[in-house]
Amino acid sequence: MLLWRQFVMEWKLYLRDRGATFWTFAFPVILLLGFGFMFREGAGPMTTLVWVTEGGGHAEDAALTKALTHVKILKLDSVEAQHRWAKGETAAQLESSAQGHRLRVNSYLMAQGQTAAQMVQQANLVVQAQAKGLQPEVIPISVESPGGRRNAGYGAFLLPGLLGVNLLSIGLFGVGMVNVAYREKGKFRRLGVTPLPKWIFLLGQILQRLTVSLAQASFMVLVARLALNIRNQGSYPEFFLAILMGTAAFMAMGFALSTFTKTLEGYSALSNVVFLPLMILSGVYFTLDAAPLWIQKVLLALPLAPYVKALRGIFNDGAHLWNHAAGLALVMAWGLVCFFIAVKRFRWN
Amino acid sequence: MTGYALKVRGLRKQYPKVLAVDGVDMEVRCGEVFGLLGPNGAGKTTTLEIIEGLTEPDAGEIEILGFDLRTQGREIRSRIGVQLQSTSLFNKITPREALELYGGYYPKRRSAQELLERVQLIDKADAYHTTLSGGQQQRLALALALVNDPELVFLDEPTTGLDPQARRSLWDIVRSMKQEGRTVILTTHYMDEAEALCDRLAIMDHGRILTTGTPSELIAQMGLPSVVELFFEGAAPDAAAFTAQSGLAVDRRGDRWELAVTDPKTTLPSILDSAEACRVPFEQIHMRRATLEDVFLHRTGRSLRE
Ligand SMILES: Nc1ncnc2c1ncn2[C@@H]1O[C@H](COP(=O)(O)OP(=O)(O)OP(=O)(O)O)[C@@H](O)[C@H]1O
Ligand SMILES: [Mg+2]
Repeated sequence: MLLWRQFVMEWKLYLRDRGATFWTFAFPVILLLGFGFMFREGAGPMTTLVWVTEGGGHAEDAALTKALTHVKILKLDSVEAQHRWAKGETAAQLESSAQGHRLRVNSYLMAQGQTAAQMVQQANLVVQAQAKGLQPEVIPISVESPGGRRNAGYGAFLLPGLLGVNLLSIGLFGVGMVNVAYREKGKFRRLGVTPLPKWIFLLGQILQRLTVSLAQASFMVLVARLALNIRNQGSYPEFFLAILMGTAAFMAMGFALSTFTKTLEGYSALSNVVFLPLMILSGVYFTLDAAPLWIQKVLLALPLAPYVKALRGIFNDGAHLWNHAAGLALVMAWGLVCFFIAVKRFRWN
Repeated sequence: MTGYALKVRGLRKQYPKVLAVDGVDMEVRCGEVFGLLGPNGAGKTTTLEIIEGLTEPDAGEIEILGFDLRTQGREIRSRIGVQLQSTSLFNKITPREALELYGGYYPKRRSAQELLERVQLIDKADAYHTTLSGGQQQRLALALALVNDPELVFLDEPTTGLDPQARRSLWDIVRSMKQEGRTVILTTHYMDEAEALCDRLAIMDHGRILTTGTPSELIAQMGLPSVVELFFEGAAPDAAAFTAQSGLAVDRRGDRWELAVTDPKTTLPSILDSAEACRVPFEQIHMRRATLEDVFLHRTGRSLRE
């Protein structure tokens, strides 16, 4: 009964805190919708190739144009092209003259430029082969996921990552920071002179945060489904169980971290030192594939990266919890270690 | 209930750098308003917080309402009301909700509505506590301290930082607590407040209780019931020559001299004669009854609000 009242009051106060509700509910949805729409699948060719012809151009230009697919071609004269290049807007530029072809790739836009350049190379090989009377065969590519139930699109990729970051922020800020503030401002002391057992207060807070994270995850999944047609490929019970596990682990982290500083200022610094690198480097917004292997290994030993990986596996690829047992066990181990640190170091004043 | 609401024996608390409480003994009778008076850092808050069970003492025995603090803390906490020196609510909570929430922690509780009327916060009952003025927040803190109909109430500097009018209204609330038969223990550094509210007082400095008694007892104990003040234009001059001449101790404070005297009727003429002889350029002379402020000065050599 006492616990229930405490829980209800926590929810009431939470809903009145505009900042907290914005960052947990609205902000991740805005990110998801924004990026989801921008990078949805089949959003048209993304790379533009600037094409400059000098003199009459190259003899094979017509054939090359025909062979070039999946790239937007912009024909410019050399003055305009030079102007565009100087402004830094051109990723790749193809120059053709009677002597032959030349490709320039912008060193600041390597990803797009390289892609465009490779398409030109490939088209050129096809043209040359055709000139020799050959019909080159293209090997078909099919993109699949290990579980075979891939949720395609950047929005789908992003969703589990955003959920992971959100749990981390509920833990570090919604629990850790709040308790540092309670300690600093004397709320714990005020409670200390009442007969309320303090564990009831903390338990009320913990249960409220668990329900916040479930509500928030449901909300995100619903919006993703309705607006971007992203579906949970795994089972909902397993998905929400994973959410609960993450919330518990990251709350323990927040509690543990809150024991290392007495002041709010100290805690903001400390929590951001933990939060920002984890958020940026845990494969939330982009995959870690491109990073050197040893860095990937280090990151996968930290709690957020394996958690996001597991969540992504369940949600996007229909995996089961036990397929990600190692990663989830690591996350829970972090949670457990933090929990013991918190229990050992926690002080009410 | 008759007898003692609080008995404290040999309380000590050492912080890394200061001995905050240095052997405090205290007895408070049921139904009285007891004041702890002392300057900043005297150890008043530390003493109260030890008694309230918030701070662990290094030594000492504490009996509250007949219960032992060490073994019957929960029983004690449900019977005492506490207002802490620092305010402690800061979420977006309304006075009514706060009273209902905190009331829920106790087996015995009073209705929020009644308490709001008591402290005149009906108008603000449903406003967020962050929008209340300083005086209103203090009144809410008092209402919270009364939420469990406590037998013993602790108020730590209930009026510090308030304007005179807000202070008076808090005094009324404290007086009504006494009328309802509650025991009140409060701290303050205002003399007038101590004189106006307290049945008995303890004067505290450097973690020790210097003296205890009713306000009039304390003044009488000092044995120097009157104070003669000589006012100067600008800073008060050195008094060595005057003291040599008159044999009276002078306390120089800012623009005046203060002389504590037992028998002003005979001393006054000699003060005037000596002043004349030493050519003391005073502007005005003034005589008054000694106050608690003088008691404090006499006991510690310092003024209360230095
Ligand atoms: N948590 C603490 N850690 C270290 N020193 C402390 C702590 N709390 C109080 N002190 C020190 O103990 C002494 C007594 O402090 P206390 O707060 O009891 O004084 P006070 O009489 O209530 O003063 P005030 O009138 O300013 O409220 C002070 O010197 C203070 O600096
Ligand atoms: Mg104090």
